[in-house]
Amino acid sequence: METIYVIIAEMSQLVRMGLTGALNQMGYPLNIREITDVEKLKIALQKDHKRLLIVSATFLKTCPPELIRSVVSKPKQTCLVLINDINTGTIPLRGFDEIIEPPDIAKTIFRKLEKLIQVLSMPKNVSKSVEEISAREKEVLKLVALGMTNKEIAELLFISSHTVITHRKNITSKLGIKTIAGLTVYAIINKLIKPEEIK
Amino acid sequence: MNYHLLQIISRFGISLGFGDKSVKQVCRDYSIDVDFFLEIVNSYHNKNYFPKKQLQGFSLKLIIEYLRKSHDYYLNTKIPQIAQLLKQLSDFSATFTLESLHLIDKFFKEYKNELSVHIQREEDKVYPYVFSIEEAFLTKNPTQEIVTCIRNYSMENYENEHDNVEDKLFDLKNIIIKYLPLPVDSHLSHAILFELFRLETDLRDHARIEDKVLVPKVKYMEKWILEHFTT
Repeated sequence: METIYVIIAEMSQLVRMGLTGALNQMGYPLNIREITDVEKLKIALQKDHKRLLIVSATFLKTCPPELIRSVVSKPKQTCLVLINDINTGTIPLRGFDEIIEPPDIAKTIFRKLEKLIQVLSMPKNVSKSVEEISAREKEVLKLVALGMTNKEIAELLFISSHTVITHRKNITSKLGIKTIAGLTVYAIINKLIKPEEIK
Repeated sequence: MNYHLLQIISRFGISLGFGDKSVKQVCRDYSIDVDFFLEIVNSYHNKNYFPKKQLQGFSLKLIIEYLRKSHDYYLNTKIPQIAQLLKQLSDFSATFTLESLHLIDKFFKEYKNELSVHIQREEDKVYPYVFSIEEAFLTKNPTQEIVTCIRNYSMENYENEHDNVEDKLFDLKNIIIKYLPLPVDSHLSHAILFELFRLETDLRDHARIEDKVLVPKVKYMEKWILEHFTT
């Protein structure tokens, strides 16, 4: 398994120690860095690798907004966790993959962090199954998921209804999904269509 | 010991704590037809054992009572249980997998509605029809009324509209096994899959009783009524 870089940006020594200890107990190959000032964070973020960035709300207040924005704009590369140590309202709670709240018990914190570590340690090519279906089939699948009939699809793609049916049969046997509703779920999960596109 | 049978005996209304009583005694306590009970339990226990002829020998009232109890079990026990597990799965997942899990929740709700509609149709339309056929058959009284009834709706219609409710269940399993975006709690997803597989098997056994026992039996009666009806 690939080593995952963890950055803990937090003023409190006590919190840093606690988090480092907890993370080390999880048994993943982690490279943990503790950071206490913005300049060091900037430098640390220049390197381009998969990482878990844990930042406290207090620390975040000292950061220029564009620094965090640049991190968030590269999803899948960085997972961003907020330690919500001050009364929020000042910080919009969006864009974080996980938020650790002060009342969270150890188990909850563990679970939240572990989920993200699992995401980061996943192989890059997650959507492998999509590649099993051909580009044309993907196109057909998209239209099926959007609720179009065979006839409509045939007209749109300049193929016969018969060909559409063949494509659909192949899609169903490759993916193991029979119903239109099921194909729609698949298409949304694999980002072939957006939920709001469906009528 | 086949613990899967526990859910079948509870469907007959038998609760736990039956001590060392024999099957016969327990059935007597709960006023259950012991032969029918044994045939059903055995057919669930051994997939290759399906005593079509024996089962067809029981009254339709008994068979339908059993089918109704299974319906009740699906809608009021099994489905809520799976829905609960799915909810837990969303509760325990990282924020960015939530969207997909909501989709799956929604998909499951659609399945639930489909199943309810299917069951409702059987209970409201099919079973009363079956009872009237049985009555006419047993009293050997093929009236004009019942013949019209058969002409309007017969078991053949039922077979045709007995659509595939399993398709969505099949898809749901595959989506969870193959396409669920990580990370999700794998223990929970396994538990959900386990329940889905169990429900699927149970529904298949249920459909087997409908297709192999109920339908032929009623068809036979329909035929008799039509043949013996004289204007």
